Amino acid sequence: MRSNVKSTALSRPTDYWLLGLALLFAGLGLVMVLSASGVMAERFYHDKYLFFRKQALYCACGVICMLVAARLPRVFFHRFAYLWLILSVGLLALTLTPLGLSAGGAARWLKLGPVSIQPLEFSKLALVFYLAYFFSQKQGMVKTFSVGFLPPFLVTGGLCLLLLHQPDFGGAVFLAALLFFMCLVGGTRFSYLLLALFVASVGAWRMIVSSPYRFKRLMAFLDPFETARDAGYQLVQSLYAFGSGRIFGAGLGAGKQKLFFLPEAHNDFIMAVLGEELGFVGVSALFIVLGLFLWRAFRIALRQEDLQDRLTAYGAALILTLGFFLNLAVVMGVAPPKGVPMPFVSYGGSSLVASFICVGVLLNLSREAA
Amino acid sequence: MAGVKPRNNRDSSRPKLIAVTVLMGLAWATLWVRAGYLQLVEGERLASMASRQHLAAEFEGGKRGRILDRNGRALAISVESQSVYARPLQVEDAARAAAKLSSILDLPARKIRHLLSSRTNFVWIERQVGDKVAARIKDAGLEGVYLTTEYSRFYPNKHLAGQLIGFVGLDGVGLEGVERRFEDRLKGRKAQFVAQRDASGRKLYLDAQGREMNLDGKDVTLTIDARIQASCEDALERTLREHGGRAATALVVDVPSGEILAWVDYPFFNPNTYRRSSPSRWRDRAALDAFEPGSTMKPFLYAAAVQEGVTDDSKLIDCEGGVYKINGQPIRDTHPRRWLSARNALRYSSNIGMAKIGMELGAPIFHRYLTDLGFGRRPALSLPGLGQGLLRPAAKWNQIDLAAASFGQGVGVTAVQMAQAYLCLGNFGVRKPLRVVHDPARVPEEDENGRRIYSEDVVRQVLGVMFEVVEREDGTGHEAYIPGLHIAGKTGTAQKASASGGYGDDHIASFAALIPAEKPELLVLAEVDSPVDKFYGGVVAAPAVKEMTLRTLAYLGRPAPSPGDAALAAGGETAESWRRKAVAAAPNAQSGKDGATPNLTGMQVRRAVEILAKNGIIPLIKGSGPLVARQTPEPGASLPDAKGVTLWLAQGQDRG
Repeated sequence: MRSNVKSTALSRPTDYWLLGLALLFAGLGLVMVLSASGVMAERFYHDKYLFFRKQALYCACGVICMLVAARLPRVFFHRFAYLWLILSVGLLALTLTPLGLSAGGAARWLKLGPVSIQPLEFSKLALVFYLAYFFSQKQGMVKTFSVGFLPPFLVTGGLCLLLLHQPDFGGAVFLAALLFFMCLVGGTRFSYLLLALFVASVGAWRMIVSSPYRFKRLMAFLDPFETARDAGYQLVQSLYAFGSGRIFGAGLGAGKQKLFFLPEAHNDFIMAVLGEELGFVGVSALFIVLGLFLWRAFRIALRQEDLQDRLTAYGAALILTLGFFLNLAVVMGVAPPKGVPMPFVSYGGSSLVASFICVGVLLNLSREAA
Repeated sequence: MAGVKPRNNRDSSRPKLIAVTVLMGLAWATLWVRAGYLQLVEGERLASMASRQHLAAEFEGGKRGRILDRNGRALAISVESQSVYARPLQVEDAARAAAKLSSILDLPARKIRHLLSSRTNFVWIERQVGDKVAARIKDAGLEGVYLTTEYSRFYPNKHLAGQLIGFVGLDGVGLEGVERRFEDRLKGRKAQFVAQRDASGRKLYLDAQGREMNLDGKDVTLTIDARIQASCEDALERTLREHGGRAATALVVDVPSGEILAWVDYPFFNPNTYRRSSPSRWRDRAALDAFEPGSTMKPFLYAAAVQEGVTDDSKLIDCEGGVYKINGQPIRDTHPRRWLSARNALRYSSNIGMAKIGMELGAPIFHRYLTDLGFGRRPALSLPGLGQGLLRPAAKWNQIDLAAASFGQGVGVTAVQMAQAYLCLGNFGVRKPLRVVHDPARVPEEDENGRRIYSEDVVRQVLGVMFEVVEREDGTGHEAYIPGLHIAGKTGTAQKASASGGYGDDHIASFAALIPAEKPELLVLAEVDSPVDKFYGGVVAAPAVKEMTLRTLAYLGRPAPSPGDAALAAGGETAESWRRKAVAAAPNAQSGKDGATPNLTGMQVRRAVEILAKNGIIPLIKGSGPLVARQTPEPGASLPDAKGVTLWLAQGQDRG
């Protein structure tokens, strides 16, 4: 329909809907971070607003990054794909060195002066840039095994291996899912994809079986109440919180589960706090906003005429979508817990800035179809 | 595939992209439905489960605070134990659970079965089980059966100060004594929420605002010294064994501070076994029971009369040769006399002499003095159920009543009131509140602090007479005489009113002493109800007071006699007191303030040298033996330079 407009539609305006929805999300995130972390911050740091202030600062950084990404010439994510890839491999590798910051037995952070970053969040973007570049450039040979199939899988596999060493099982799964959905649209043979899926399943299975503890943890979500005291604890607490909200919720700030029952209340499980405090009414409002947001994001991808643009927009939308869905699935007990933050809402600078950059990329591509 | 047709490829990517978009839309809808299911359908159940974990707080309270003596020795502590309870509604298989519990707890299975099948939310299965049993219950992992921590109260010193301390009931609430009076302070608190903080199950107790709570109750520190208390209980018990008697009380008070060091009620009461005891046993007689004091009241009348200028030391009083009738009622003296100076009337404890002084002083004034001294009023002491004695209004007194009151009959006082009044004498006429609780400190009421009732001169005169009561061979209280120690004392031998009216054959023998007479530091008071073989206060109570005085002084490390005095040379009690002192003095010595010489007497030599060495002093040691007998400079004097301290050693006796 718009295939001929290429030359005429010189400048479509920036997608202000997307921009507004993203800012709405970030604002909601600030409120929820304050509510979820206030009591805990007061107790451990004697400063109720500690996490709120930090999150507000990250927000400001994120908005700046978003505006920059929206204005940057596209060569930055089209031509420099390998550069970003090498950079993120380097950062991931650094977390395994003494520069890495360990927390809870996993070295997922890099300490850079006063801030610590989680390279995973940025490697998602790098992977998307690389895959978009790869599929658009190698489109002719994408159906072949050695040229079209092996390189993206090897690259993703390498990143995943680094993540598994941290260890960050959830992060590796996230990247694998990104690869899968990019390949699906990028044109990889369906049979190869099925084969890869099969191999990955077998690998994951072996890894899980080799460590019964991990298996138990992973499967705990199927019946969390069975193991409410250990493996299922987080999930049970999350369900208690989410369910307690019922129709109208306990009211903003009045949730009880965040009072040290729910671990990571301001982080991965912030949606449980939201569910408890705002109830189904609030959750539904969030789902409507989320639906609109995703619609705008995928709409931008669909409107792209250039394959690389399209795949880049699609990938950026995918990062956010998978983040939203995996987080919600974990909080609501339909997927095993694996430490995926809620984009824009969960506390954390890396996730927030990376999410804003995704929106920036989408805004950039929304401006005009090249 | 040979021809690169980007356009086609782009087009082939478009339907796939749409497919993925639709897929994502489906996922989005599914998650929304899931949220609705959780909150609308499952919400009620999840909310009630969530609140149940908050309700864990229902049975989780903090530990009750301790009761300590003045040196921090535990008089009452709480010991943790596990109790088993069940939520019958959660029990799936009651028969199996009952069988299992029955074998672990050694209780009849039928009884447990009955408990488990009740339609209530909560039943106790067994309270305060042992650690092993608790572990087995935990291992059994029975559905709906839980363990919770409870605290049981334990009194490590058994009957020591039992009536004063009181006890707590099964549910942990203080029912008597200090336990009851300080219930709010001692009791453990309950949390609004209990959160699990980490995987090890460490718990966090939170109030409604989510702030962490310390659930443990606060301690209460008494002014009682457990060692003095123990030896006084010992002494009083021996007196009762020797003379018989229904009951007895004794109080030892530090005069400058008004702090009660020992509070003895006999027969003893062991709060550990209150359930096998009776209210008459745990009754705090010293605080509650009013008795007619007899002659121990006389110093207050005498002092009032001198203060008011009604009489003086040498004024002669006609003591009527032993019998004197007022309105036809005879008053008798034990030792008939004719003319006595007022001073001697007090010293020989003449009832007739005192009655005459009292009548001259007049009921209103005497009554006012008695009220000012605290008689007829509830003592301002941090204890529940303090008796106020019996002091009728002056307007209702007739001449006989006034006369009787003058020698301590017809009025009812408690031992605590008596101590309060003697404390005023001990402080040279200034009223001072008695104290039995050190922490929390009580804010004294306005009128009880520092009010002068007698002038210092008047009190000195009275103490002078009381000194003679003990010091002189013919004094009624000479049984309390301790060589080298100046004791001001007063005996009391009151007839007890019988149930049928009038006075019967039973007596209350009492003795009050202020030591030393020149500047009292210690007040010791004892009262024996219905001694059997003898009944004079001077014979029954005075020796008990003497014994308690000796031991208390030894424990306090303030041996009154100066070195070289008769007391040191004498055998008997003083040797005993030496031994006691050796046991007791050590903890006190450390409290020596910086720059002041610590009290080292009675201490092991090694310990004494260690303490000095910490201050950089190498003492000069004279004599031989394991204990320090004497030291220069005196305790409390400013610490001299190195080598300025001399210790004289002595042979101690076995502690056994």
